[in-house]
Amino acid sequence: MNKIDLLGRRKFITGLGIAAGAAMVAPAMAVSEKATGIKWDQEIEIVIIGSGFAGLAAAIEAKKLGAKDVHIFEKMSYFGGNSAINGGLFAAPVTPMQQKEGVEDSVERMVADQLAAGRGIADEALLRHVASHAMEALQMTLDAGSEYHPYLQQLGGHSVARTYQTTVSCGAGITQPLLKKCRELGVNTHNRSKFEGFLVGEKGEVLGIKMRENYHFGEDQPGKIIHIRAKRGVIMATGGFAQNVNLRMAQDPTLTSEVGCTNAPGATGEGMYEMFRLGAIPVHLAHIQSGPWASPDEGGFGYVSNYSIYNFPHSIAINRLTGKRFMDEIADRKTRADAELACRDEQGNALPPILITSYADSKKHPNTEKVIKYNVGWKFDSVEELAKHFNVPLNPLKAQIEEYNGYVKTGKDAQFGKNMTKAKDKYIKAPFTVVRLWPKVHYCQGGVMVNTKAEVKDSFTGEPIKGLYAAGEVCGGIHGVSRLGSCSIPECMVMGMTAARSMMKA
Amino acid sequence: MKTLKIMLALGMLSLASLSVQAVEIRDHHKEVIGKDCKACHDKGIKQFPSDQACLQCHDVSELAKQTARSEQDKWQNPHNNLHYGKELPCQECHSEHETKKPLCSNCHTFKYDKHKE
Repeated sequence: MNKIDLLGRRKFITGLGIAAGAAMVAPAMAVSEKATGIKWDQEIEIVIIGSGFAGLAAAIEAKKLGAKDVHIFEKMSYFGGNSAINGGLFAAPVTPMQQKEGVEDSVERMVADQLAAGRGIADEALLRHVASHAMEALQMTLDAGSEYHPYLQQLGGHSVARTYQTTVSCGAGITQPLLKKCRELGVNTHNRSKFEGFLVGEKGEVLGIKMRENYHFGEDQPGKIIHIRAKRGVIMATGGFAQNVNLRMAQDPTLTSEVGCTNAPGATGEGMYEMFRLGAIPVHLAHIQSGPWASPDEGGFGYVSNYSIYNFPHSIAINRLTGKRFMDEIADRKTRADAELACRDEQGNALPPILITSYADSKKHPNTEKVIKYNVGWKFDSVEELAKHFNVPLNPLKAQIEEYNGYVKTGKDAQFGKNMTKAKDKYIKAPFTVVRLWPKVHYCQGGVMVNTKAEVKDSFTGEPIKGLYAAGEVCGGIHGVSRLGSCSIPECMVMGMTAARSMMKA
Repeated sequence: MKTLKIMLALGMLSLASLSVQAVEIRDHHKEVIGKDCKACHDKGIKQFPSDQACLQCHDVSELAKQTARSEQDKWQNPHNNLHYGKELPCQECHSEHETKKPLCSNCHTFKYDKHKE
């Protein structure tokens, strides 16, 4: 299939790794230092590092609470970070759409679902804080002009349908309106501005930051360092480190540059590691999640990811070697990613499984047409045609479809115990649409420890580091082993808002 | 002395070839750039051009019109796209001294036939 494109993508990723590596060893690499004797180039009321969901929500909330001088600094040339390229899926309990669709939900139920996926090590207090304020965050996006599909989705690991998705099926449907709103409110936004370390006071409190201006990501141009005094403090909203192959391999050696990644190139983790140097507590760094809905036929998140997230509830995932199902299609992400990685040919080589959906059901998602048009998915008129294309044994496949359609009828999946609510009346029948599945590194559950005020805790004193707040993927421990889909956007936004509130009260 | 002359000549040659290459990549820049590197390198010759340098002559809305796609594919317009609107700095996809792939190709298989890599 698209082997050439795939190789190109790999080279691109490898190239990035080298560029990032070179930047790391450069002698100009700055670290945090004492602010004693520092000449401040600028004085700013609130400094926010990173322009994704967390940074944007923090800026808007700070402005609402009366902050006069709020600045967002973004390392890349464009704003939005990883938030601008994900699926735009937003989970919240007790929403107007749930009331309309008759879905019974609660904060407790959402927390319980997340705790189960967290496999015993998730942070219940943080999960409850986020779920309790998720509707407020959703409202912030609506007020800024975000638009959502008129239906709810039930994502893997969720016991009910509680997920909104932007009409453009992308996080940009939120970051673009929030960025616009920030500017309307007078938030100053700076691109090509790289965070280079904290400037700390006598008691270890954060007084300001070092910022590299005129920075060109991945290029050999040093730019210029300036010292910025942050009067109320610094909010670190710098995201995860999924794109930093060295750092992720340090945590999980299997995540080499050969494993794809859905993240924006800027997700390299320097902000997080700088907080560790300052004394922040590292939590759950080795829990790095792969998205089980990604396709090996395109780079990054692409078009297939959203297509399959929407279609999993009424589709079957098939091992091409056996022609049989091999997982609950809406189990949590880790369960599914592990199951997919186990799909191999007799020699042990990767044999990406396929997701089969009835075209009649798949076509309701706007990506279906694009997936077919851009050759990352295929349409077949018969099961014979499909089986031949992917070299799947025909008779076992036919038997599997028939067996599964029985489960659609009874509403009980005897094979994998899948929740069949969203599969009701949706039989697997021709014509079919099919995509290939293979996990891609998607989300870093680990990061710095924060409390429900978004304060960053010091590893030795156990007290919050004064003047330092963090929100979003850079924080760790909230989700435990596996984050449920659509639970990152509410977390980023709620914790961003929380950081702004704490800062304005401090 | 001879060595110095050769080095000087080589230096001149590489400078010349740089600007020639620039013109080769985009014919329509020939008249504007000429031999004046500062036409683009507004922050100094050793620095990348600013994001504003291209916009002295190019208008983003005009470019967006030129690269507009059908309603169904409207967000694949590199000059007004889903993820970054009209704000994507030119240098993410364009370069005068080297070849570049469009940023979209990180994740998508879109074809941009007129894009010179």
